[in-house]
Amino acid sequence: MPRLCEICQNSKAVLRRPKTAQRICKQCFYHVFETEVHNTIVDNQLFRRGDRVGIGASGGKDSTVLAYVMKTLNERHNYGLDLYLLSIDEGIAGYRDDSLETVKRNKEQYSLPLLIVSYEQLYGWSMDSIVEAVGRKNNCTFCGVFRRQALDRGALMLDLDHIVTGHNADDVAETILMNIFRGDLPRLGRCTEIATAGDGYIVRSKPFKYAYEKEIVMYAYFKKLDYFSTECTYSPNAYRGYAREFLKDLEAVRPSAILDIIYSGEAMQVAQDVQMPVAAQCERCGYISSNRVCKACTLLEGLERGVPKLGIARSAKASLEGVPDVAKRGGRTVERVHFDKLWENARRMRLERSENNTDVCTGSACAGVCNAQNTGSLTNM
Amino acid sequence: MCDIDAAQTPDARKPTNRTNKTQNERLRVPGKCIKCKTARPNVTIRKSLYCKPCFVRASVVKFRAALSKSRRRIADKTTPNTLEPAAPRAMVALSGGPCSSALLQLTLDYHNSMLQKGAAVQSPYLQIIVGHIDESALFDVPNDAVRSVAGDAVQFRQAHLEDVFAVGENSGALLEIVAASIAPGESSDRFRARVLESEHFSSSSSSSSPREQLHRLFDSLESATNREALLDAIKMFLLTKLAHASNCSVLLMGDSATRIASKIVSLTSRGRGFSLPLEVASECLWLDGLAVVRPMRDFVAKEIAFLNRWAGFASVVVPTFTTGAPAHASIDRLTEAFVVGLDCDFASTVPTVCRTVQKLEPRPEALAACSCLVCGLPVDPGSLTWRSRLTVSDAPSSSSAAAAIDCVPADHSSSDSSNNGNSDVAVPLLDISTRLCYACQSVLHFCKSDGLVLPAFCAERLADQTDSSASNNTRGHEDLRKQVEQFLIDSDKEDSD
Repeated sequence: MPRLCEICQNSKAVLRRPKTAQRICKQCFYHVFETEVHNTIVDNQLFRRGDRVGIGASGGKDSTVLAYVMKTLNERHNYGLDLYLLSIDEGIAGYRDDSLETVKRNKEQYSLPLLIVSYEQLYGWSMDSIVEAVGRKNNCTFCGVFRRQALDRGALMLDLDHIVTGHNADDVAETILMNIFRGDLPRLGRCTEIATAGDGYIVRSKPFKYAYEKEIVMYAYFKKLDYFSTECTYSPNAYRGYAREFLKDLEAVRPSAILDIIYSGEAMQVAQDVQMPVAAQCERCGYISSNRVCKACTLLEGLERGVPKLGIARSAKASLEGVPDVAKRGGRTVERVHFDKLWENARRMRLERSENNTDVCTGSACAGVCNAQNTGSLTNM
Repeated sequence: MCDIDAAQTPDARKPTNRTNKTQNERLRVPGKCIKCKTARPNVTIRKSLYCKPCFVRASVVKFRAALSKSRRRIADKTTPNTLEPAAPRAMVALSGGPCSSALLQLTLDYHNSMLQKGAAVQSPYLQIIVGHIDESALFDVPNDAVRSVAGDAVQFRQAHLEDVFAVGENSGALLEIVAASIAPGESSDRFRARVLESEHFSSSSSSSSPREQLHRLFDSLESATNREALLDAIKMFLLTKLAHASNCSVLLMGDSATRIASKIVSLTSRGRGFSLPLEVASECLWLDGLAVVRPMRDFVAKEIAFLNRWAGFASVVVPTFTTGAPAHASIDRLTEAFVVGLDCDFASTVPTVCRTVQKLEPRPEALAACSCLVCGLPVDPGSLTWRSRLTVSDAPSSSSAAAAIDCVPADHSSSDSSNNGNSDVAVPLLDISTRLCYACQSVLHFCKSDGLVLPAFCAERLADQTDSSASNNTRGHEDLRKQVEQFLIDSDKEDSD
C-alpha cells in the first residue's frame, strides 16, 4: 500500500522533504515551499508595494526557481511588484553564453523584461581575458567583486528599487561557517542579514535564505523548470569547498543542521566595542567602499598595469601607488561610468515615468522628486 | 618563576624599556630555542622552537597570565569598587583527561607558590578543591586512576551521573515528556510534559534505580549527537551543584583552545548560537554566584600533550560516546575531526576561531531570558515562532485551524489526555515549549521522546520558574491594585458606613 502524505493524509507521498524528513506529496511540497518563501518575504518586510524588483538571473537552478516563485507569489498575494530579470555576462565561453540562452528562454516563459550587462561592456575585461592575465588561482575574487558592482550598475540602468538573488540556506550556512573559520567578524555579522542595509544603494535581498538547496532542485525538477546545470569552467573557490564539504557531512548527521547554523548565526551578536569598517564612497567610481578606492577599481588598476596581484596579496594592498606602470596585458581600457551619473539617469527615468503617469513611484532613487504613494510594506498578505 | 600578580603593581605597569627587551628576546638564533637561544630545541609551537625547560616555563607563565587576566576581569565586573577582593574558594573540574589534569597541576603549582611567599602576596584562591563527575554508569572509567591524578594533597569532591535521578528521599519530582515535535505533521511546535511526583514513582516506570533510569534516558536519545548534548548538560549541572555545595564561587574548566574551537563550531551547528558566548567565554558569570573560568584557552592540544609529558603531569584516557568511532558518528566528533584537519591545512585556524568568538557577546534579551529546563542556559523567546514560520507543516486548507491552535497560551494545563497511558495517575499535561531552548527542542525532537523521563533538575527548574512567575504575577497584580486603589470601593467599609 502506498504511503500517504504526512501533511494532507490524502495523496500518495512522492518525496521525503530534506528539511524535516517528512514524506509528502507533490502539491503539499509546492505549498510548504512557496509558503515558507512567502513567510520570509512578509516577516522581513522585504518589499514595498510598487517596488521595481530585479531578479539576479544566471540561468542556474536557484535563480530560475526564484524567478518562477517570485512571479507566482507576486500574482497570488498581490505584492504589486514590477519584476525584471537582470543578468550579468561575465564572458566565460562555454559556460555563461549557454546559461544566458536559458535566461533568454525564461524571459519568454515568464514574460519578464530582461537586461544583460557584461563585464566586457562595463570594465573592458571579460573573465576569459582576466583568467588569461591572472591564471586559474584567485580568479573567483575578480568575478565576485565585479559581479557585485555590475548588478548595481544594471539595477540603476533599469532604475530598480531592489535586487533579489538566489542565495539559498546552504550558501548562507556555508558563509557563516567560513567567516567563523576565518575570523571575519564584520562579515559574520553581515552575512546573516536577509537584506543589505542599503546605505543609499540598491537594497539586495535573499528570499531563499531559508530554502534548502536540495528542495530548490526538487522544486525545479517537479515543476519541470528550464534551467542550466553546469559548473563554472574555472576552478571553484577552494576555501569555500572545505566549508561546503563539512556542511554536507553535518547535514548527513542531522538534516536540520543547515537551518540550525543560520539560527545560530542570526542569534550571535558582535560586542559593541569591536571596531567595524565604515561604509564610504570610492573616490574614483563613487561605489560603496570601506577604503579610499573600492576593490573593483583596485583590481582593475592591477589588471591594467599588468600587476594582477594588486588587491589580492596582502602586501600589495597597501602600495597601490607604488606599483610600476607596466604595459597592460589583455582587455581594453574602458571609461567607467561614475555612479553619480547612473543615479542621475535613474532619477530622470523616474521623473519621466511619473510625468507620463505610467507608474507609481516608491523607489529609493526618487529622492522626493515625485509624490510617493502606496508605500506600505508587505506585512499582512 | 614569574609572578604575574606582582608584575601588575602600578610601578610595574610604567613604560620601561620592556618593549625593547621583548623584541630582543624574540630574536631567533637559527636552530636554537627561541627563549634561551642556546639549547637545542625539542618542539615547534606555531613556528617557534622551544627546548624542554623553556617550553615548560613558558607554559606556566602563559597559564598564570591567562588566569590573572580572568581574575581581574571578574573582579571588575563583580566588585568594581573593591581594591582587593577576598580570595574565593575555587573548584577545578577534573575529568582526568590531559587538559583538566594539566589545569589542576598548573593551578596547584600557582596556588602553592603564592602560599610559599607568605603574607606579602595574596594567594589567588583561598582553597583549591577538585570536582569530579563519575561517569562509570555510562563508561568504563578507571575511577581510582582519576583519584590518583588529583593526588592526596587536595580535597576531592565527587558526584555521580546517576545522582540526577536520585529523588524520592527528600521528596522531589521528575519530568516525563509526553510529546515532542518541532513541526512535522503538527500545526505548531509542541512540547508537552507532565511532572511525576515522588509518590507516583511506585506506580510508574520510574520506580527503577537511578542508574537504570539514566541508562533508559540515554538509550532513548538514539543518536550520539543527542547523547553528547544531554551528557554535557548533566555534567554542567552536577559540577555547578558540587561547586555550590563546597562554597566555591569560581569553577575552573580545562577547555583547551582546540576544544573551544571545535565546541564553537559544533554548538553553532547544533543551533546553540543564542547561548554560545556564555558557553565558551573565557569568564562566564551567567550562573548564579559562580564564575566559570577557562584558563587553558591559550593552549592548543599539542602543547598540553607535550607539557604533560615533560612536566610529568599524569592523566588518564576518558572515553566518550564516540571514542574510536568514525568521524560521522556525531556532530561533535565530526566537528573535532574537521577543525583539527583544517588547522593542519590552514595554520592558526584554532586560535583565530577562539579569538573571533571571544568578541561575540550574548544578546541583551539572553541575560533576561528564562533558563532552559534541560541545559539551564537562556531560552530565546522568539525561536519557536522563527522555526514554525520556516518549517511549514500545515496542509493547504488548514491555515485557519493552525492559527486557532497557535492562540492557545503557553503553560496552559491542557485538560485533554491527562492520563495518556497511566490510567492510575491523573497528572495534567504542561506545555513546556517556551521553557526549552532551540537546541534542546531539537534533541527532544530527534529522539524517542514519548515517555522519556528527564533528570530531576528539569522538574526543579520548572518548579522554580513556575513559582517565580506566580510570585511575579501576584506582585504585578498588587502593583496594578495600588495604582487604582483610590477608585476601589471597600465593600466591608461601605457596609459599615
